[in-house]
Amino acid sequence: MTNQTSPETKSRFSLRTAVLLLLPITLLAGVIALFLRTGGGLNLNSPVPIEDLTIERYRLERGHIELFVQNTGPETLTVASVIINDAVMPFTVTPSADIRRLGRATIMIQYAWTEGEAYGVRVFTSNAIPFDVEIPVAFVTPKPEARTFWSFTLIGLYVGVIPIFLGIFWLPALRMLGKNWMTFLMAVTAGLLLFLGLDTLNEALEEAADLPATFQGIGLIGIGAVVTYLLLELVGKTGSSERSEASQRLSIAWKIALGIGIHNLGEGLAIGAAYNVGEIALGTFLVVGFIIQNITEGLGIIAPILRDRPTLGQLALLGLLGGGPAIVGAWIGGYTPSPFLAVLFLAIGTGAIFQVAVEIARFIQKDTTREAMPLTVFGGVLTGMLLLWVTGIFIK
Amino acid sequence: MQSALQMDHGEGLPGAGDVDHEKNGFNPSETLYDFDYGKVSTLANGQTLREYQIVVINKNIEVVPGIEFPAWTYNGRIPGPTLRATEGDRIRITMKNGSNHPHSMHFHGFHPGEMDGVPGTGPGGMVQPGDEFVYEFDAEPFGLHLYHCHVFPLARHIAKGLYGTFIVNPKGGRPPVDREMVMVMHGIDIDFDDGNDFYAVNGIPFYYQNHPIQIKVGEKIRIYLVNILEFDFVNSFHLHANFFQYYPTGTSLTPTEFTDTIIQGQAQRGILEFTYKYPGMYMFHAHVTEFAELGWNGMFQVLA
Repeated sequence: MTNQTSPETKSRFSLRTAVLLLLPITLLAGVIALFLRTGGGLNLNSPVPIEDLTIERYRLERGHIELFVQNTGPETLTVASVIINDAVMPFTVTPSADIRRLGRATIMIQYAWTEGEAYGVRVFTSNAIPFDVEIPVAFVTPKPEARTFWSFTLIGLYVGVIPIFLGIFWLPALRMLGKNWMTFLMAVTAGLLLFLGLDTLNEALEEAADLPATFQGIGLIGIGAVVTYLLLELVGKTGSSERSEASQRLSIAWKIALGIGIHNLGEGLAIGAAYNVGEIALGTFLVVGFIIQNITEGLGIIAPILRDRPTLGQLALLGLLGGGPAIVGAWIGGYTPSPFLAVLFLAIGTGAIFQVAVEIARFIQKDTTREAMPLTVFGGVLTGMLLLWVTGIFIK
Repeated sequence: MQSALQMDHGEGLPGAGDVDHEKNGFNPSETLYDFDYGKVSTLANGQTLREYQIVVINKNIEVVPGIEFPAWTYNGRIPGPTLRATEGDRIRITMKNGSNHPHSMHFHGFHPGEMDGVPGTGPGGMVQPGDEFVYEFDAEPFGLHLYHCHVFPLARHIAKGLYGTFIVNPKGGRPPVDREMVMVMHGIDIDFDDGNDFYAVNGIPFYYQNHPIQIKVGEKIRIYLVNILEFDFVNSFHLHANFFQYYPTGTSLTPTEFTDTIIQGQAQRGILEFTYKYPGMYMFHAHVTEFAELGWNGMFQVLA
């Protein structure tokens, strides 16, 4: 017998513990087996077939339409008929018209569609349950090739990278401001982040609504946001005591850039996907709107390090971290839009942004402990939120 | 791969592919020429008696490849049997209800109220599951009529498949032709949203497109055409590269129109007579074209 641990914390794990732990699990297996064999006395056979087919996306090419589907219902289903604009159409299903639960398939429909017209596609399963998808504007779906790759890159550059770097260019001017102004700018950043966090959460909820029930979109948002928040708290606390104020401020800037970066990844995903199905025309006005709005994000990234001397390399990396993901998002959204990934990214963005907002709040508190709520902080937060709200009018 | 769906017939035509007619228990190729004259005998007063047996049963029918429609049927088929008699004959139809819903047979034509097959007119208005009823009346007036279930909700009882053709020949018959056919135009609401998903003639969408009806140049053809479409207001029939004489409701021996397209509202019907001059493949279909692409489309293969 060892006495190295105190009695309270000593682990008494033994074979007996293991057996006792396994007991409920063994019983559970028995109950499940009994239930599967007898149905437990419940009449569980549904009188009507329950089927769910998620049409994740479509791809248009000359002379045919491809639907990418997933069976998100409880049982195997069979694709039996395809109707486009009230006309039965020949089709093939790869790998098989029988799609097992959570299985995926591609439905290839021979159809001489016309550019610019709208189509309604209805898929009937063998149990005569219809699933519909609308093609609002028909045009050849962009393929991953150099030209479209470049145009998605440009979209990301315009809405993400360029505005953030424009914001960072304020650094020399803002450095000349007094301490109160700097506090004000930090508060503005907190306001920006609160607004962005809400916006990201809203987008996550909207995407989650389109997610098949199996994936429990709301729960997924919770996991993504909470875990990200806790992870960033952990990163922030590790070794914070021995670090200098300056390096702490720099680390906040990195986190802001990361949070904004993930937000912009979500923005890129949405824009890429919408662009791909012709739901938005990225007109000049819209791009200008994005630049005006996202320039404030650049401002937010540099706000904590105004009194420090970051190197040009650091600034460049901060800008890339904040804006670059918009490009990646546009690629993913443009070529393989996945509602599941979109929800996950947006949830991570939500957690990251709120964590940074809280951290900035703590930082401001350290600087302004003598006053309950200084006007600079109140005005800053309000300004930050209003900035995004007003510039958002141009985009929404 | 669902390749069977697009390989077998008619490149470029939608709706190719076959259903399991054997399992369905009927084949539109046979329905086309299948006239039920009943069991014939003579009554004491010299009147001809025709006796018909009808059983109502629930039956799953594969209407398009891979999709079964839980139908209600007369004698297990859509449409029900084509009952045929001559004006003045005594008609005796024994209807057994072998399904789990009350049903009836409501005939268009002259008959006493208690033979009308409508709830509220007596035991024949609503025949309970397991029961039977004998509808008996004199066949009149001559013409092309129909019968259908009249139990409420009416639209559903008809749309599920309870309808058929009732032909009353004039005494002495109509002038002879080479070939007589019956075509019942109807819809199929497979997802029960009170809207038709497919359209057909004689039960199976696209059937006569995939299996053209063979006729010969110079043959005189007579079609008994009935519209029992639910949910949509009108149906139509258009014949390609030809014109036909049209006898609305078949109640006259003189045609009213020489045309290539006619419109029929719900329960309207009429007789068409025509002859093809040239051999070839000729389409016939609803000129309500959205019905055509959802199944109401067929072909005549005219042989030299």
